[in-house]
Amino acid sequence: MSGLSADAPATTPPAPAPAAPRPARAGRWRRLFASNPVVAKELRGRMRGPRAFVVLTVYLLLMSSFVTLLYVVYVASTTSVYSGTNAQLIGKFVFGAVVGIELLLVCFIAPAFTAGAISGERERQTYDLLRTTLLPAHALVLGKLASALSYILLLLVAAFPLQSLAFLLGGVAPEEVLIASGLLIATAFLFATSGIFFSSLMRRTLGSTVLTYAFALMGTLGLPLILVALVPLGSLFLNNAPPGAATETVLFYAFGALIAINPIATAVTTEVLLINQQSAFYFTVPLSNGGTLPFISPWLPFMLFCFVAGAVMTMVSILAVRRAEK
Amino acid sequence: MPAIIETKNLTKRYGALVAVDALSLRVEQGAIYGFVGPNGAGKTTTMRMMTTLLQPTSGEAWIAGASITRDPRGVRRAIGYMPDFFGVYDDMKVWEYLDFFAACYEIPEAARKVLINDLLELVDLTHRRDDMVDTLSRGMKQRLCLARTLAHDPRILILDEPASGLDPRARIEIRELLLELSRLGKTIFFSTHILADVAEICTQVGIVEAGRLVAQGSLDEMQRRMTPHRRLHLTVLGQADTARQVLTGREGVLAVRDQETPAGSTPAPGAPLVLDIDFTGDDAGVSGLLQALVGRGVPVLHFSESVHDLEDVFMQATKGIVS
Repeated sequence: MSGLSADAPATTPPAPAPAAPRPARAGRWRRLFASNPVVAKELRGRMRGPRAFVVLTVYLLLMSSFVTLLYVVYVASTTSVYSGTNAQLIGKFVFGAVVGIELLLVCFIAPAFTAGAISGERERQTYDLLRTTLLPAHALVLGKLASALSYILLLLVAAFPLQSLAFLLGGVAPEEVLIASGLLIATAFLFATSGIFFSSLMRRTLGSTVLTYAFALMGTLGLPLILVALVPLGSLFLNNAPPGAATETVLFYAFGALIAINPIATAVTTEVLLINQQSAFYFTVPLSNGGTLPFISPWLPFMLFCFVAGAVMTMVSILAVRRAEK
Repeated sequence: MPAIIETKNLTKRYGALVAVDALSLRVEQGAIYGFVGPNGAGKTTTMRMMTTLLQPTSGEAWIAGASITRDPRGVRRAIGYMPDFFGVYDDMKVWEYLDFFAACYEIPEAARKVLINDLLELVDLTHRRDDMVDTLSRGMKQRLCLARTLAHDPRILILDEPASGLDPRARIEIRELLLELSRLGKTIFFSTHILADVAEICTQVGIVEAGRLVAQGSLDEMQRRMTPHRRLHLTVLGQADTARQVLTGREGVLAVRDQETPAGSTPAPGAPLVLDIDFTGDDAGVSGLLQALVGRGVPVLHFSESVHDLEDVFMQATKGIVS
């Protein structure tokens, strides 16, 4: 029994001494992700058996049949108007459709992978076991997050060939591809962390799932509805009493901020700006007094928002896991 | 003997309810400590505080020298904890389960393979190494959980009701395993409400009721304190009257009674008769009793002392109140 020596003094495993030098950056990275037991366990469980591959296959089949359908419908409808098909337009359309579907999927798949991450351990009664081991709270939370994100990333990467169909047709710029990928990853991060966040605060997975999806629905569909409601209100307000430049500036920026915390609004606005203003980074909006207002393209603040909000939610989750029960 | 577990006025309050009330206990190194009490007496709450899962309202405890409030990591390194539920992942193989927890205890990957094989051998699950955890029987799961608590070779095992819900064979297997672990030098602290388990393997006992520790000590000590006299059983083939005469005259004999027979039945004529004797003397006195009986020609079939009658101790110590 090599691992179970009887003599008391030598019983504890060789532990890193408290005075040991801080591990190198690469070492810390490896401990957190590559050799994190939670990551290994989660990935093993997720990829076990045919389930993961069936999910991937069904996902790709659905996506490709949807794209084929769109292509056929679009070609049929445009050829009846124009003399020939505009390959570039179809390319843009296919690309937009694939990214749009992926965006929606990410908004609703990411929470599913994480809403039970911590509360599931509580329900399986393994939470106490984990908390009496030496596994730090941040390793548990980050491990759960990393393993969920890695599967979402797999789904996104697997859909690349479908996006690339658009390259055959043309009309899609490299910036668009990069920005779209960035948006997808940032969205996945935001909604995956929201799942971890709620599951670390709620005792039951059911409660956590409800809150996580409420958050996802609010973020993806609730905000656009508010925006839609605000536009007529705003124009009414502007028409009746022309506001000063300061009020107008505040209103425009507030509207921009609302756009920049919603993945769909961000994607649409960014694409419109790319087409209309030929700019991926900044644009200007004319004011009623003749001046112009500078803006950053919404994908930049959106990504910043996702990473900051995600990081805050992750930190709160770690604190919630670390805290001893009162 | 140095104390390896010590609690001082450990208290846990939930609003008006006092779950654990100024509990101070001491466990010696190498002991098998039975933590006995009725359901709801605060056993699990105490253990959850000792394993750093629950913050005490007040009081303090030291596990292998580490404070549960100031050095939880030091405590976790020293203990293996098995709660009163299994806590197994259903989508894992047996070896993966152990590998996962070994990794959680920061055991390097290179050492884990050998360790897992050793652990499986210890709990006799080697043949189930590649099976899924949820196909194991209850007793096997319990043994697997015990193996998990040993992954980091802790000095102390804290086990909450390790034998609950097991069939007799599985219970005996767990008991043998605990004795084996004790021989390996582990200190074992376990809670139970099955007194037979305690009587058979414990070296130290603490009786808890309504959140208070009502008695603590070695089994012998406790018995002496709670039941001040020894109880001897004498079986004779005949001449019971002579035996009674001999016994009642001796110094130290408090009472001689016929052992109770099941209600409604009368002993068959000529059947061996059993006498219960309350006796306060020492071992030499007990031996003297037997000599006197044999010397008077009483046909003694069986002469013994009822050792570790824990149920008596338990009934004496507790009053039947549960918080």
